[in-house]
Amino acid sequence: MKEIVTIQVGDYANYVGSHFWNFQDELIGLAGDPQADSVFKNQDINMDVLYRTGEIQQGIDTYTPRLVSINMRGSLGSMSSHGTLYKEAATTTSDVLTWTGGVSTQASEPHKKNLFLQSLYEEENFNMVNTIGGSNSGSPSEYQNKDITEGLEKGVQYWTDYSKVHFHPKSLYELNGGWTDVEDFDNYGIGRDSFDWASQGEEVSERLRFFVEECDHIQGFQFVVDDSGGFSAVAAEFLENIVDEYSNIPVMLYAVRGPGTRASRQSRKRTILEELHDAISFSRLSPYCKLIVPVGLPSLGKASKFLHIEDEKHYHSSAVYAAALHSISLPFRLVPVGPTKDACSASGAVDFHGLIQILSGQGRQNMVSVLDVAMPTPALTGGQNELSLLGNLQSLTPHIAEDVEDIQAIEHLTVHGAFASVEGRRASVCEVKDTVDAAFQRANTRPLFYHLSVGLCPLPIPLPFPSIFGNQVGKHGEMMSSKLTNSSSKGSLDVHSIPMAARLRSTSAVLPLLESKLQNLHRYGITRGAAGAELLRSWGFDKEELNEMQETLSKMVATLCPPQLSSDSD
Amino acid sequence: MSLRVLNPNAEVLNKSAALHMNINAAKGLQDVLKSNLGPKGTIKMLVGGAGDIKLTKDGNTLLKEMQIQNPTAIMIARTAVAQDDISGDGTTTTVIFIGELMKQSERYIDEGMHPRVLVDGFEIAKRATLQFLEKFKTPVVMGDEPDKEILKMVARTTVRTKLYEALADQLTNILVDAVLCIRKPEEAIDLFMVEIMHMRHKFDVDTRLVEGLVLDHGSRHPDMKRRAENCYILTCNVSLEYEKSEINSGFFYSNAEQREAMVVAERRQVDEKVKKIIELKRKVCSDNDSNFVIINQKGIDPPSLDMLAREGIIALRRAKRRNMERLVLACGGEAVNSVDDLTPESLGWAGLVYEHVLGEEKYTFVENVKNPLSCTILIKGPNDHTIAQIKDAVRDGLRAVKNTIEDESVVLGAGAFEVAARQHLMNEVKKTVEGRAQLGVEAFADALLVVPKTLAENSGLDTQDVIIALKGEHDRGNIVGLNLNTGEPIDPQMEGIFDNYSVKRQIINSGPVIASQLLLVDEVIRAGRNMRKPT
Ligand SMILES: Nc1ncnc2c1ncn2[C@@H]1O[C@H](COP(=O)(O)OP(=O)(O)OP(=O)(O)O)[C@@H](O)[C@H]1O
Ligand SMILES: [Mg+2]
Repeated sequence: MKEIVTIQVGDYANYVGSHFWNFQDELIGLAGDPQADSVFKNQDINMDVLYRTGEIQQGIDTYTPRLVSINMRGSLGSMSSHGTLYKEAATTTSDVLTWTGGVSTQASEPHKKNLFLQSLYEEENFNMVNTIGGSNSGSPSEYQNKDITEGLEKGVQYWTDYSKVHFHPKSLYELNGGWTDVEDFDNYGIGRDSFDWASQGEEVSERLRFFVEECDHIQGFQFVVDDSGGFSAVAAEFLENIVDEYSNIPVMLYAVRGPGTRASRQSRKRTILEELHDAISFSRLSPYCKLIVPVGLPSLGKASKFLHIEDEKHYHSSAVYAAALHSISLPFRLVPVGPTKDACSASGAVDFHGLIQILSGQGRQNMVSVLDVAMPTPALTGGQNELSLLGNLQSLTPHIAEDVEDIQAIEHLTVHGAFASVEGRRASVCEVKDTVDAAFQRANTRPLFYHLSVGLCPLPIPLPFPSIFGNQVGKHGEMMSSKLTNSSSKGSLDVHSIPMAARLRSTSAVLPLLESKLQNLHRYGITRGAAGAELLRSWGFDKEELNEMQETLSKMVATLCPPQLSSDSD
Repeated sequence: MSLRVLNPNAEVLNKSAALHMNINAAKGLQDVLKSNLGPKGTIKMLVGGAGDIKLTKDGNTLLKEMQIQNPTAIMIARTAVAQDDISGDGTTTTVIFIGELMKQSERYIDEGMHPRVLVDGFEIAKRATLQFLEKFKTPVVMGDEPDKEILKMVARTTVRTKLYEALADQLTNILVDAVLCIRKPEEAIDLFMVEIMHMRHKFDVDTRLVEGLVLDHGSRHPDMKRRAENCYILTCNVSLEYEKSEINSGFFYSNAEQREAMVVAERRQVDEKVKKIIELKRKVCSDNDSNFVIINQKGIDPPSLDMLAREGIIALRRAKRRNMERLVLACGGEAVNSVDDLTPESLGWAGLVYEHVLGEEKYTFVENVKNPLSCTILIKGPNDHTIAQIKDAVRDGLRAVKNTIEDESVVLGAGAFEVAARQHLMNEVKKTVEGRAQLGVEAFADALLVVPKTLAENSGLDTQDVIIALKGEHDRGNIVGLNLNTGEPIDPQMEGIFDNYSVKRQIINSGPVIASQLLLVDEVIRAGRNMRKPT
């Protein structure tokens, strides 16, 4: 078994992470639930890759994510940073054992638990008392569930508001002493300024070490960073430390951000600040990882025609990204099956190292990948006027070129839980493989190389998942031809699982993204009299560092540009 | 830096409103922190939004836990936290001193005085106070054998402001011994060589000094011994884990058999490294009485662990980077980066290595070492709060001992320095100053008294009475501090109440700088306006 340790840095990264762990938690629950659909049993997914087994001092076993999550102080809402499992008895003033003098109390406004968290808490207590747990289905709980999902739709304020996962007490870390408003924490410079890694870094890296030490053979770090603001700088420091300490363990970096973090109309000054932040952030983060995946469209309105996403709700958009991350990470956890075994439930297992080699270790050695998703994935055959599986994939990486013909592209595709036909029969692994192979054969431009991973188990939709499905999506994520007139979105009460496909692409389609960063860095930061030169100085960058970053970006561009083209375009 | 304090609306505020905003923010922060000060201060219980609780008596920790939004308050907090970074103590004093400088200034400003004049007075007073400190401090001779008693008194003074007396006194010995353990002649003291480890277990009074190292992990093989005597210690940074090489795993180039062959070859390389270690073990442990322990900064995978376990070797993986240095200082030998460098001389030695398990937490003790230059303070306590309190106190105490050794002097505490400096400024310095800057000196002098006043207030004493008594006794020619139990003047020397010289100096240096910036806020605004006019 090869373990993965996940790191989430920043608010939006934790929004994504919260959904991601909800999926995992749901899968664990379904695997052990006698009433669950059989596709969730024997799934050939090894959860130990992402989870650790531990023990509370009282001797009770625990199963928690291998996770270090970094948050701004005060952004954990009603969840304690110690998690919920290893809790101590409530503290009162009489527990002050070290001081005989007076005690003065300062209480902040308590965060009320929402209906979802309350019910989670109650259910837990109930299960403790009554482990036999009879089926308590029936209308009353249905009704309550409806209240819960509606409540979440209306009022998610923190990523913890919809989290159903038990975290290890070492997992959630709150950064201290930043003393900045969340709104002001919007650029690399302030992140670099506010957090003194020297004072808090040790604690953070010790927590990471705790999770790494127990790994017998760690395959890599899955690192998710909210790169829209100051957390980029925090992540860069953390990554530098990781690369230094664990030089041979590969890092796969998802740079995520919510929709609308970049407003379209704003002052020139603001634009310069944002463009420079984006360029700096990207060129500071990328040297520390083996693969970087920029994720986060300005708007998710058209990410899928089967989804209705309200851009202003991070709770919505992060669910889509989390689903994609889940699919991409599936092959790392598939239990490898020998090629002779035909009736397998999974194929195409690959580890971090393998995937990185596939995408960036051969051919052009481009380390920037594009993330695409088909959510939900339509049936392999038979849909009316539906596109093929490949045609349904929509990019979640911003600022990329559409329809480029790149004969050197390399792709990694994961399909899981797909239906063979609109009637809702699950496709076997071989059927998926054959269909995808055929689709690639038919395609106008074929990638140089592609790798396919197939699993049978679909994406489970946990109760706190947002109501983002269009009404043509059925209970198991199948496309229903008869459209209902009611146009409101469906959520977890109506849709229980969906087939998924997600893809990472190493392609020159990512050039516009890279080029704009390079240009902006040059134009606003480096060229003589650049409008943002002063700003970059105040962020603590000197000329040499800026030139280095420019170099990094130009190399990335050059990797993807055929040489004769790049000289023409200048 | 000074532009930062500006409120976005500052341009529209008139100068006196902006100034008063700063004064109020400074007073506000002072109010929050002042009850913390001294051995009679209160401990703060902070209840977070999720109901979780933090306890702290330490100004530095308290500030970091607070969500400060006001820009002026943030500036003061940064200064105070920097105070702690630089000198290790005095955060609370810094905040209340800045607050008091602002408060004293307010009186004069309300009477129509220009802040610039006050600031000029501050500058004069600051310089005079620093000079006075040089005279006032008590020199301590630090030869080869430092005076343990004075070190203990300084440590005790600090730690008693954080923990109840009996615990503080017990800790005092531990702190002094720890610093003396790691001290090397002619070298700066590196406090990182004192490891601070904690266990949620037993009682606060079980906290102890381990001459050697405690690691927060154990061996990862069921057959490895949990306890061993006479141990050779191999401190190393060598990967004993199978890693795929980059070049050979391309999917294009190799077929399944080729890949398989690569895997075998690469595995063999790891095994070779393990074998070299085993070879060395056999060589040095031929007598059968001794044992062999590997503490590795890199990973060790299960096949390697198997090989080592079969040989009776104890192996720990993923040790903290800093422990590489500490181990060598504690046990001797050297940190090995390649198996080619393995020699018997590279090994360290420990009389006893054993593991202690608490729930899912494991600890490894490396003890009974010869002439250690690194050690561990093992903090114990029944809950996280107790541990955190002790940890804060240990940090402050270690810094206090180090400062004393490096400063080669201490300063009489309990308000003695502040009272003496105040009288010096009023009686000697003020009259040498021309014009209204005198009032700045006076404001500064009175602001110093915030220390004894707050100590008195926190002890439930009448501040007026106390200050009168202290001044009176001082003017009779005695150096006096405040007895917090009786309110009477005392001789801090007799009571063994000493503060660090470098801490005091830093407070006197940084406090007026920030206060001046905050007082001159109007000029910053005007400068901003001027910049915009030409366009
Ligand atoms: N026994 C004592 N009697 C009177 N005053 C004392 C005594 N012990 C310490 N003090 C005084 O208490 C002050 C230090 O208090 P404290 O340690 O709480 O604050 P600080 O050092 O300014 O801030 P912090 O330790 O929170 O960073 C010093 O002025 C010191 O002289
Ligand atoms: Mg102190």
